[in-house]
Amino acid sequence: MKRGLLAAFCVLLLGLAVYPMAGTGYGIRFMLQLFMWIALAQSWNLISGLTGYVSFGHIAFFGMGAYTAGILIAKLGWPWLLASLAGGVGAMVLALVIGWPCLRLKGPYFAISMLGLNEVLRVAVSYFEGLTGGGSGLSLPALYASVAIYYSMGLVALAVTALTYVIVTSRFGLRLMTIREDEIAAEAMGINTFRYKLYAFLLSAVGPGIVGGLAARDQSYIEPISVFPLIMTITMIVMVLFGGKGTIWGPVLGAVLLFTLQEMIWARFIYVHQLLFGAIIVTVVLFMPRGILGVLQQKYNLPRTI
Amino acid sequence: MPPILEVDGVLKRFGGVTAVDRVSLSLEARHIYGLIGPNGSGKTTLFNCITGVEQRDEGEIRFKGRRIDGLKPHQIFHEGIGRTFQIIRVFPELTALENLLVVTTTDYAQARARAEELLRFVKLEGLAGEYAGNLSYGQQKLVEFIRVLMTDPELILLDEPAAGVNRTLLNDLLDAVRQLRDRGKTVLLVEHDMKVVMGLCETVFVLDHGEKLAEGPPGVIQTDERVIEAYFGR
Repeated sequence: MKRGLLAAFCVLLLGLAVYPMAGTGYGIRFMLQLFMWIALAQSWNLISGLTGYVSFGHIAFFGMGAYTAGILIAKLGWPWLLASLAGGVGAMVLALVIGWPCLRLKGPYFAISMLGLNEVLRVAVSYFEGLTGGGSGLSLPALYASVAIYYSMGLVALAVTALTYVIVTSRFGLRLMTIREDEIAAEAMGINTFRYKLYAFLLSAVGPGIVGGLAARDQSYIEPISVFPLIMTITMIVMVLFGGKGTIWGPVLGAVLLFTLQEMIWARFIYVHQLLFGAIIVTVVLFMPRGILGVLQQKYNLPRTI
Repeated sequence: MPPILEVDGVLKRFGGVTAVDRVSLSLEARHIYGLIGPNGSGKTTLFNCITGVEQRDEGEIRFKGRRIDGLKPHQIFHEGIGRTFQIIRVFPELTALENLLVVTTTDYAQARARAEELLRFVKLEGLAGEYAGNLSYGQQKLVEFIRVLMTDPELILLDEPAAGVNRTLLNDLLDAVRQLRDRGKTVLLVEHDMKVVMGLCETVFVLDHGEKLAEGPPGVIQTDERVIEAYFGR
């Protein structure tokens, strides 16, 4: 069973690797965005799914990465791949500065502070016009690199998922879960919860940062409202809850199902997809708070790695 | 031998309520101590002050001669003080085995061997892979108890170890506590079950309204008029 799954996974990866040679322009762009959502959902899962600290402003790291990379490309002429990696570093620096005070807050207070961070960043970016172009946005020199960005996004999604696998199967990951389960007990059992939360937070920021840089390059134009939208944070949260929070494959499953569904409905009815998202949130919270994979894991007593 | 734990004039207030009022205790190594008192007398708050879960407002706490008041709970744990909680605090969505593994920082194989040994010690080896949240109340209590022993702490604080545990299990637990003492550990336990306290403890401290009312061997404490008054009224 395990060997079969591994083989299927390898075939899938191979298929995705050769897809750009056969795919349509639309197909490649669809997959590229799907990879982006997998990376975002998986990153949110690292902090919020494992430690239970719900980040309501996680898209701030995406925006930070987008602007870091955008400025490096547009003003300093950096190559886009390097600039995107720098976006990941920028997001981690932001996570360190924000996490240091905010991770000392408990539960809902942390969630609200993250929401505030995202709003503050959006306003700040609009304000520093000289650097960011302000509210009128930042244009990057034209470049057609969809296929290269497809591979880059795919690698980030794969890397964040591999990272999650390594974490969940280690004692480091178990200690992150003790924070979610009972922070006071974790602390009393010798676990330096603040330090563990900070590590998880830094790791959860790097993926969105890189992906933000890649998305900025892909779209060639960024503005404050396009890279700091609250709806994107909500979307990644819903993906994780739907697929199964705190699991390895839940965020991937949630991103694939919801993004595909969203594209199908979006193409036909503009507003219905928001309604559908609301309905999914309510359904998941009420009837299966563990998500699809969480329910399966419990019902069939599956190991954490599935 | 100097005392292993010294609580010196510790005071803790919550708003206008003085939960612990200048309490001093001194524990010698290799003994079992009891901490009793009516509900709300400050026993758990004193535990919380010793383990850093609450910060005391006044006084000093010394462990093996070193001050530990002001340290974080995880630092105090690594100094060598382990505790259990009055309300069970296992990690429900971790397995019984994982509940133990997270505690130590030694290498994985060593931690696993120790965890399996402890699970056998309380006869839970068959449930190692079960989520702690699915275990019975008594079993969870045992998991919490052996979780403390993963790092071999020198001082163990047990908050109502007997509550809700059936007789057979309780006898095993009390035997385990005596074994710990014989292996050189010091135990301080909060307990309402007087049979347990009288049968196990060598010295008993009595708290009432946050103050230390009496201290002495269980036989003497049982007949102390102030203690009887605190429990039953005049």
